[in-house]
Amino acid sequence: MTLRFLAVVAAALALAGPAAACAKPRTSLAYLEGQVMCPTCHTTLDQSDSAAARQIEGFIRQKIAACWTAQRIESALVANYGRGILAAPSHKGFDLLAWWLPIAGVLGGALVLAVGVWRWSRRREPEEPEPPEGSGLDEETEQRLDDLLARFD
Amino acid sequence: MTHRLKITAQLITLACVAGLLALLVWKLGHQQHPPRVGAVAPAFSLRRLDGPGKVSLASYRGRPVVLNFWASWCEPCKSEAKVLERDWTSYHARGVVFLGVDYHDLASDARRFVSAHELTFTMLDDGSGRVTGRYGISQVPETYVVSRQGRIVAHLAGPITDPSFAGKFRSALAKAAA
Repeated sequence: MTLRFLAVVAAALALAGPAAACAKPRTSLAYLEGQVMCPTCHTTLDQSDSAAARQIEGFIRQKIAACWTAQRIESALVANYGRGILAAPSHKGFDLLAWWLPIAGVLGGALVLAVGVWRWSRRREPEEPEPPEGSGLDEETEQRLDDLLARFD
Repeated sequence: MTHRLKITAQLITLACVAGLLALLVWKLGHQQHPPRVGAVAPAFSLRRLDGPGKVSLASYRGRPVVLNFWASWCEPCKSEAKVLERDWTSYHARGVVFLGVDYHDLASDARRFVSAHELTFTMLDDGSGRVTGRYGISQVPETYVVSRQGRIVAHLAGPITDPSFAGKFRSALAKAAA
């Protein structure tokens, strides 16, 4: 009886072990599936159902249960597969271009658009007529006009 | 001023297009294809999976080499493993070297696979797939037979247990070992 009880307790402890190992996981499989690439199909894990992807998912699950952080899991994967296993490029060296080029592209596009709009709006503005110097009529015509107007006074 | 601006914008656009074209050409030029039979086998140096240190293909020059690319997650690799081990035991006395290259795999799982299948030939770790890429491997298992002169005698893009490859493998092995 005692032996049976001990066996039940041991089995319960063995089953509860992995769950108790990490009460508060520090990352999730859903998050890492979007950060890690499947090495054979060149998509992120969440878009792949290949055997290699399933193997990596198993590894991630195991490490999450052991309370590893996302960064630690990623480092372990990089040590095994190389940097190409991560979906995002690093923030160092040549890889920096991948981060800055899209920003530079958007800023450049916005600048080109702004200059274009500014020039277009300037072209559309009606030019103010320059005030004529004097009345613009010769002396004789002006005299005749004065005479005509004088008749209406 | 406006004219200069227009020219500058056109030059920038041209430079961008030229850059993208250069990138496309570079990508096309760097696509990896399997080396042809008769060509020199691409050189490499890889970490041992089953111990410390590195192994290079060049160090086996003068001996025929069977290069088998595999992974622990690959189902056909399991049935192939037994056959490879059997062939290794019968051919190594004749100077044939068997190298297993583990590809895109977790090293711990790969070691478990080697131990479970009792494989005794040299195992190398290509987790990043750098060397495998040079051999144009798109699926595992794949096997190359390399002659004593370092030239490719046969390329089998599938398990050697497959009836269509088994005969080819044996004859390539015999030719390389002769």
